[in-house]
Amino acid sequence: MTDHRRDQARASRVVPVLLKVAERSFGALLVLLVLATLVFLALRLLPGDPAALILGDQAPELERAALRARLGLDRPLWLQYLHYLKGLFVLDLGDSLARPGTKAFGEVGRALGPTAALSGVAVLLGAVGGIAAALLSVGPWLGARREWAHRGILAFAATPLIAFAPLLTYLFAVDRQWAPLPGDPDAGVAGLLFASGLLSIPLAAQVGRIGRAALLDQARAKFLDVARAKGATSIRVWVVHALPAAFAPISVVIATQLGALLGGAVVLERLFERPGLGTLMLNAYAARDIPVLEASVVAAGCLFVLAQAAAAFASATLDPRTAA
Amino acid sequence: MSQVTRVSVFSRVLPALAVALVAFAFVVLSDRSPTRLTLELAWAGPDSTRPFGSGDAGVDLFALVFHATFRALGLAAVVALFGFTLGTPLGTTAGLAGGKAQRWLLRACDLTQSFPTFLLALAVLSAVAVPSRLHIGAVFCLTVWAPFARIASVQARVLGQSQFVEAAQALGVSHGVIILKHVMPNLLGPVAIQLGTAAAGIVIGETALGLVGLGPADGVSLGSLMEQGTLSMLRAPHVLAVGALTVMVVSGSLQLASEGLRRWVGRT
Repeated sequence: MTDHRRDQARASRVVPVLLKVAERSFGALLVLLVLATLVFLALRLLPGDPAALILGDQAPELERAALRARLGLDRPLWLQYLHYLKGLFVLDLGDSLARPGTKAFGEVGRALGPTAALSGVAVLLGAVGGIAAALLSVGPWLGARREWAHRGILAFAATPLIAFAPLLTYLFAVDRQWAPLPGDPDAGVAGLLFASGLLSIPLAAQVGRIGRAALLDQARAKFLDVARAKGATSIRVWVVHALPAAFAPISVVIATQLGALLGGAVVLERLFERPGLGTLMLNAYAARDIPVLEASVVAAGCLFVLAQAAAAFASATLDPRTAA
Repeated sequence: MSQVTRVSVFSRVLPALAVALVAFAFVVLSDRSPTRLTLELAWAGPDSTRPFGSGDAGVDLFALVFHATFRALGLAAVVALFGFTLGTPLGTTAGLAGGKAQRWLLRACDLTQSFPTFLLALAVLSAVAVPSRLHIGAVFCLTVWAPFARIASVQARVLGQSQFVEAAQALGVSHGVIILKHVMPNLLGPVAIQLGTAAAGIVIGETALGLVGLGPADGVSLGSLMEQGTLSMLRAPHVLAVGALTVMVVSGSLQLASEGLRRWVGRT
């Protein structure tokens, strides 16, 4: 093949991929814009006076007027919207109302760290735990009891996090006192590990379910027979030979569960009174801290869109059937 | 339907029906109130008059569980039926039309389904001073139609190209009659499965919103029951146990019912 033809062939492969990327980015931007607009409109189209809602009905009119001027609520709606979009673009929506002097996006930046730690450790624990459960449910180590591993995976996959997370917290933190209590400021690494561990359970259950099916697909493959014939131990056969072949669907399920994991992180931050994006959002909602609420909802929307992009990317690269 | 399939379908749908019936009967027949406060009984454990014990400010948990379940199931049923009524005709029309109409509908579904419900709820609920069940239902209605439309559209596309529809067209049957008599009945099965899945999702969604403080203000919801339970974990663990078990039973029975519907649709 000449260089020219090779370039043409490459271009014909690259262009559809670029189009796909452009289409997805446009969709993601649209989702973010709608979300940002909704939170903007919701706070402004409120029946009644937002300033009264923030300061209370008893606040003097002079104070309310000052707050309205500070938030720009006395200007026409379209001007407020343009100003808001510019603020989102340059990451400056002004100061927090609850904590004057701190920037709204600064608060979001500080909250991202704890949420990232919680979710990151949960993804790690969920992936490792799920793969271990899948291996136990197909490998020979548990004998006839491996069916129990399978049933355990199914039971956890069917139980909502909001039902079992508080129950397990009671069992381990209050009753057995193995884990730190929710809201304990000195919980440190143990607190992080416990909260992440709970958050990782639904992920582990999904990884276990899909991983088991993927491993069973490989179970009768010839290359495993070859490995066994060469005298490989069962751990080597399943972990070194079968697992890598089953890894594509496992990565896809991890990526697709990231969005649900972020939703679960909000519940667990509330349950454990941990700082983070979820707590920031809920506190800003309760105090009607408009700049922080807007900044945190858009930031969380960005994270969610990124998680979905990761899922689409993983499934397109690892499973060519979905790339078309 | 064979005997075995019938048993396997009924045994899966029955728990959800039983939960709904018991909750309905309790709400109609019993005069126990889920909002009456008996301060001297606050956080008291279970006894013979109050089998589930008391919660915050002496609320009777026995009454709260049934009333909250009834309301959660009511909300789930209304929202899921809304999604079904809006999404199915939309999807069927676009699926039969094919081409651009179907592509645009599927894109719209993609966008709608990619909204994080929790953020949407937070954005929309901040427009009202005190959220009510109506507001929460409205938030779920924004996105619930999309999966119904998607399934109906894909099914209608396949059915529109099937031989029995071609035969009806060849016999000169009108377009409307083909949709009503040949496409709709074959399409309803797969869409019906989504009813159970959507309902279970709404029960869990409402509970999660209530747990983080975005529940209906009347306090009669599974979410506020769970919130009471988590806040009083140290002094009154029975509240948490009652709440968590109720959520498991309600959402589990709905998921089981949806599996039953799947078997009913997949019967041969």
